[in-house]
Amino acid sequence: MTTQTSVQPPTDFSNKTLTTDALPSLENLEQQAISPIYAKANRYINLFGTLILMLVGLAISYQPFFDLSDFARNIFIYITWGIAALGLLITLYEAKADQQKLYALREKDISYTSGLIFRKTVSQPILRVQHVELKRGPIDRKIGLAKLQVFSAGGAMHTFEIPGLLLEEAESIRQFILSHKDTNHHG
Amino acid sequence: MDKQIDASINELDTAFTPEDIVEPSLNNTTEEQNVNQWQRISPIAMVYFVIKFIYALFGNVIYIAPAILVGYKQILANPHIWLPVAVVVLALIALGTFLNFYFFQYRLTDDHIEIRSGVFAKKHVNLPFTRIQNVKLEQPIYYRPFNYTCLQLDTAGSAKQEAKVVALKVEFAEQLKKEILASHKLATANESILNDNISALDSNTSEQSINQSVEKISENEVVLNRRSVKDLVIHGLTNNRIWIFIGGMAPFFEQIGRGIVDFFNALGIDIENLLTIADKPWWQIGLYALTLTFLVMLAISLFSVAGSIISFYNYTLSKTADRYIRRSGLLTKHEVSMRLSRLQMVVRQQDWLDLLLKRINLKFEQSNANMQDFQPGAQNNKIIVPSIKPEQCQELIADVYPKNQLMTIDYQGISKHFLIRNILYIITPLVLSLSAFVLFIDKAIALYVIVPVFALLSVMVIFRWLRWGFASDENYLYIRKGMFGVDYYCFPRYKVQQTTFKQSWFLRKRQLASVRFVLAAGGQNIPFIPQVQAYQLIDNALFEVESTRKSWM
Repeated sequence: MTTQTSVQPPTDFSNKTLTTDALPSLENLEQQAISPIYAKANRYINLFGTLILMLVGLAISYQPFFDLSDFARNIFIYITWGIAALGLLITLYEAKADQQKLYALREKDISYTSGLIFRKTVSQPILRVQHVELKRGPIDRKIGLAKLQVFSAGGAMHTFEIPGLLLEEAESIRQFILSHKDTNHHG
Repeated sequence: MDKQIDASINELDTAFTPEDIVEPSLNNTTEEQNVNQWQRISPIAMVYFVIKFIYALFGNVIYIAPAILVGYKQILANPHIWLPVAVVVLALIALGTFLNFYFFQYRLTDDHIEIRSGVFAKKHVNLPFTRIQNVKLEQPIYYRPFNYTCLQLDTAGSAKQEAKVVALKVEFAEQLKKEILASHKLATANESILNDNISALDSNTSEQSINQSVEKISENEVVLNRRSVKDLVIHGLTNNRIWIFIGGMAPFFEQIGRGIVDFFNALGIDIENLLTIADKPWWQIGLYALTLTFLVMLAISLFSVAGSIISFYNYTLSKTADRYIRRSGLLTKHEVSMRLSRLQMVVRQQDWLDLLLKRINLKFEQSNANMQDFQPGAQNNKIIVPSIKPEQCQELIADVYPKNQLMTIDYQGISKHFLIRNILYIITPLVLSLSAFVLFIDKAIALYVIVPVFALLSVMVIFRWLRWGFASDENYLYIRKGMFGVDYYCFPRYKVQQTTFKQSWFLRKRQLASVRFVLAAGGQNIPFIPQVQAYQLIDNALFEVESTRKSWM
């Protein structure tokens, strides 16, 4: 531990965006969209999820096994329509929101921006990364996507996460973080 | 059976013990002669295991309760059965305790500590001294007459990695602790010398420097702060920890209530009659309510004071070269120590009562990473200095963070839009719709509750807005917040783990934004500040982390 407290920047410091030459400010971050496949898959998942829930609702309303009172049947039908409306809204919202999920990889940190109305950008300095994980559910595996999870000492609540990356893209980011000269040097 | 185990232990010994063990001072202790052999701890540890078992039993009372209930009826039905059952249960506890004790072994080899424990689920921990981040001594009251203590070892890694040696002689534990800390220090020193010349450090010189640093540590310990019982009483009054207590008592509320009624009945006061509201003038009811509130408050305060004294009795905060140590406790003596570099954030807390009494709770926060494993005795990782005076507080803060301007710097408030958002867009619509509903169902009387609640909520939001502020200088970030009390947070910018820039569509129209800094000790928000400044704060923090590349721990 050095006792140096001043903030004098070393002369060789640079933190350029990897794709273009921009100032190291979050404000003009050069961001990339996540894979469009993710938005598409998400749309289908939402639609099919809604349909299945609706089918369950209808099945309960009209099944022949036990008698429902008219009142109860009406309630189930209302619920089914409610599910339909909600599912449609969610699908539309997420379809829009998924297009707005962006990430940016700079030399020394990685950022992820998401949200349609409440927009937020999380930035994770690579120096503070404890470990990296690629997470792939069954659907992700089917369509060749991966979710990148980056853990810092901030705790499990503050896990940095980018969904919907193409597998090779995710692998290369992971490799970039692992081989970064800054990681594995805190101790 | 026993012989077999012994034999296998011996085998392990011969297999694992390296021949060139360097044990500079440990070998000289008379009591623990062969520390590099597997050995058991003192039989006094059985007390520890029994108590731990009882704790676990009470901790799982929810799961056991049905069994007990069923069993209770059974016992009532066949009263002759309870004796054998009790004997069997006690025998099981005794056996379990003995086995726990029997299988708990540790050994020290070549700057490693190894601990084997567990009866059915075996656990083997092997910790190199250099990996141990923190050493805590914990002395439960039943160890005190016999001069024993628990040695708790924390690693930087996961909670599962930590280890505890449950009964060691105090002197030996102290010595071991010094040794571990010294070797850790040596390791960090080694790292820095490593690049220059590693071969210069042969075993002789390393031994010497260990001994030197051990002496240095013991010499340099200075007591920075003590808390008298008077301070602790104040702390108890201003910091009600009654809620924890009440939570624990919840299952017995009904019995307690009945007990209280019976108690007053015995005194000749029919409390149930007193509390029946009808046919009493309003002032009488008011007086009852007031008296009752006072009585309850008094009881609560007494419990809280007792809690404060139990956990902070004989409080000292001391400092060695780079380490702060907190010692306190009436029943169980706790010792928490923290290297200065592990400090993540300083928190200076004052509740409204603290403001009146001019007292402060000062907290030195370390990493929260290991907080999942809750242990009785709590506040494990924090070094808290309860109810200190402003001058003392200032001194301590200046001691850990030199050149800080926590109390002198100008704090910039947050935007008025915070008020508009919370009062106009959240609270008001809720209250209006609730009022409309209440009027609709013809219960206008409820407005007498709704309006004051609305006023109170609005006042709370206004206070929150008044308190919330931030500032930064070349080393530190400062955040002030609170509602009726006021809390100050201060952390060096390079401790930041992660940043978040938050901006809703509404905020963007007004060029405002919120910022969140995540530290190893948790996250801190600064809401509703000008967008330009938000970007600046984040850019500066990231720049400092990435350019200085200082370690956060």
